[in-house]
Amino acid sequence: MHDIPVPDRIEARYLLPNRGTTILLAAFVAVGAIAFIALLGMNPDRAWQSYVANWLFFTGIAQGALIFCAATVITKARWNWSVRRISLAMGAFLPLSYLLLLPMLGLREAYFPWIDKMAYDEIVQLKAAYLNIPFLITRNVVGPLVLFTMSLIFMYWAVRPDLAPERARDEGGVTGRAKWRDRLSGNWLGQEAEEARSWQKLKVLAPALILVYAVVMSIVVIDFAMSLEPHWFSTLFPVWYFMAAFWGGIAVTTITMVLLKRGNPYFDEHMGPQQKHDLGKLVFAFSIFWAYLFWSQYIVQWYGKLPWEQAWYIHRSTPEWGPLSLLAIGLCFLAPFILLMGRNAKLNPTFLGSVAFIAMLGLWLERWLLIAPSLHVPGTPTITFWEPLIGLGFLGIFALSVRWFLSTFPVVQLWQHGVDPERFDREIPPPVDRERVVV
Amino acid sequence: MATVTEKVDRATATHPDVSSYTEVNTDILAMLSRPGKWWWILFGLSVAGIGLLAFSWGNQLINGIGLSGLNTPVGWGAYITTFVFWVGIAHSGTLISAILFLFRARWRQSIYRAAEAMTVFAVMTAGLYPLIHLGRAWHAYWLFPYANQRMLWPNFRSPLVWDVFAVTTYFTVSSLFFLLGLIPDIAAARDQSRPGTLRQKFYTLTAFGWRGTDRQWHHFGKAYLFLAALATPLVLSVHSVVSWDFAMSIVPGWHATIFAPYFVAGAIFSGVAMVITLMVPIRKIFGLEKYLTVRHFDAMAKLILVTGLIVFYAYLNEFFMAWYSGEDPERRVFWERLFGHYWWATWIMLICNGLIPIMLWFKRVRHSIAALFVLTIFINIGMWFERYVIIVTSLSTEFIPFAWGIYRPSVTEMGIVIGTFGWFFFWFLLFIRLLPPVALAEIKEVLPPPMRPKPRQEVPR
Repeated sequence: MHDIPVPDRIEARYLLPNRGTTILLAAFVAVGAIAFIALLGMNPDRAWQSYVANWLFFTGIAQGALIFCAATVITKARWNWSVRRISLAMGAFLPLSYLLLLPMLGLREAYFPWIDKMAYDEIVQLKAAYLNIPFLITRNVVGPLVLFTMSLIFMYWAVRPDLAPERARDEGGVTGRAKWRDRLSGNWLGQEAEEARSWQKLKVLAPALILVYAVVMSIVVIDFAMSLEPHWFSTLFPVWYFMAAFWGGIAVTTITMVLLKRGNPYFDEHMGPQQKHDLGKLVFAFSIFWAYLFWSQYIVQWYGKLPWEQAWYIHRSTPEWGPLSLLAIGLCFLAPFILLMGRNAKLNPTFLGSVAFIAMLGLWLERWLLIAPSLHVPGTPTITFWEPLIGLGFLGIFALSVRWFLSTFPVVQLWQHGVDPERFDREIPPPVDRERVVV
Repeated sequence: MATVTEKVDRATATHPDVSSYTEVNTDILAMLSRPGKWWWILFGLSVAGIGLLAFSWGNQLINGIGLSGLNTPVGWGAYITTFVFWVGIAHSGTLISAILFLFRARWRQSIYRAAEAMTVFAVMTAGLYPLIHLGRAWHAYWLFPYANQRMLWPNFRSPLVWDVFAVTTYFTVSSLFFLLGLIPDIAAARDQSRPGTLRQKFYTLTAFGWRGTDRQWHHFGKAYLFLAALATPLVLSVHSVVSWDFAMSIVPGWHATIFAPYFVAGAIFSGVAMVITLMVPIRKIFGLEKYLTVRHFDAMAKLILVTGLIVFYAYLNEFFMAWYSGEDPERRVFWERLFGHYWWATWIMLICNGLIPIMLWFKRVRHSIAALFVLTIFINIGMWFERYVIIVTSLSTEFIPFAWGIYRPSVTEMGIVIGTFGWFFFWFLLFIRLLPPVALAEIKEVLPPPMRPKPRQEVPR
């Protein structure tokens, strides 16, 4: 919008390397890896369930944040000029996420109950064309590969105009930055031409990326969560997953913004009331949207009272799982709804960030609840300290990759598109009778 | 130098050819005075449509619901189809006025008044259908939540009763929103109408003493923002509840969890298409080219594209899940949709809602108003058929092959369906003659404010 002031010149500022934080995050990764290996030795089924749930959560929010960035490109949003790069940075996790996905493709009978049921269950046999291992592996290798590659191309065009060779002095002598600038800014056309070209590429890529996102995330979540109860099906389920991931992307952008504001007065100044208020509103709105989707799925199946549909909800409302389900609803919906309703709540960064963090804890729990109750062995605990520990490992990898991105590329996007780059002067011909209108 | 700045302005200004506040008042309020030949022709057609409605419905009231093609097993047919169609049309008004307002999409100012009016009249049209469908319309008050003399209440577990709440709430809030936004503009019309006329008295009454003081604008702005925030959930809730009329029952093809968001997206899809279908002739007849520029049509076309893609995702998702369910009735209904007795309706739906909107990916199509007009008519047709497909194909081939049956709309039903279009356009045409159909005050907000001319400065080159 034209009433949102964007400074004419934005300085290149990076996230400064901080040994303490890096060591802490590396420790997270180590703890997560040790926990996973230890649990793998004791209870491999549970270790893999936890792994997949964490993968779905972190990949979801990383890809969701990038999709959020793409959506603001499509709508030519100006308000997020100072936080757009933060959303983009989450994509740095995606290449690692792809590597983390590959071991999941080795999962067999212990994770996918339909493999055993295929022998005797007539309904599952009808699904054999979709539920079979070769096709499962093919679609989960190809789908995320296409999606993540497109995401990386999108990120490339978004950062490229910031890597002008004449900006080399901005780098502060950090060799990593110079290396990446040299790699990504080959055949430099000049600042203006680069910006025009990038904008053109992003405009075309963004809608395509969102389409692929919807399809690929649907496939992934159908395979790794829905098919765990092979008789259960819900048309809304994939939508619920990827829209919640989109919400997670907004929330994690908010949390990162709050953390950046703390450490650096430059960021604090530019990520101001506009950004806080708007991100706060979006976290609030999409939390309600999460509840809407949850409810739309729940009420139809509750009311329909078909045994194979209700089974999924019954597994999640037993005395063991019920309290956790309620907790997830409380954290994902009630907490943001009540706490973020007011204007002051959205403008107070600590408060806003904490509520977004609480909501993400809820979403993390929700991901666990998509998987674990379907495979639950009666008598075993519902959630243990192992799941958060493995989650800590994923958090470490996620945060390290995002930190790397923000310390290699400017935190605030240096180039900004115009007010409305789409020109209409050709379509709106100049007036014929200009004199008439003079009053 | 002057040409250069003008050119830049033309590319970025929302209304490059509107130069002053006075001009806005003159142009828009002129619509209230000169109907012109085309308006009368359209109005005559709408009155004829109402005549058809009155005749067909009257005939059905006297001779009974048997005049419709409704029978076992297809008990819901063209009436419910058209009910859902009109509730869907009613969606874009509040979306444009509330959600786009909250999202600061300024392009809405030129179209939102007409879209809101369309919303109100579309709900009024949709509201006729439950009465028509009841057959014995004089029992309609049984739907309302109060106990009869044996203290029996309507069944609150029935989604049809939820519908009564959802639609009446939506009607109340969208009317309030519509009337609130009108106040400053009615005051402008009041100030320009001849004193002593009936028109002036009407405007005086409905302007609620608006004088345009700071205090009034302050309250107006607050009220508008709060209403927008309160109306936003309604955009989603109404059509969700309408979709649950179907999804709650276990009829194959109806019992799908995606129905709520899918119906909402479809409603916005058809609603925005209808706004374009309506605005193109109005723009032409009343010479509003300055106010409704290609920019506005382009933005609406993009909105159609987005919601159309959501709808298409839902189609694919439904076909896939029907197969994946492994349930025989579920699989068969979707097979029957594509290749059964009603194949033509399904293919009309898929082509009009899935294939034709693909053209909107191209800027040249989005920027051609003639193309958009034709395209949106196809979308309107496609969306009517979508509801027809959902309702009729599912009911005609339910669980037991023994009880299958074919439904064909009767002449009475067609008369009523066509007649209600006359009813809708009757109100809409009256509206554009009686109330300012373009929001004066909001257009002025985006025009460059009037300033004393500055002394010309040469820009060094």
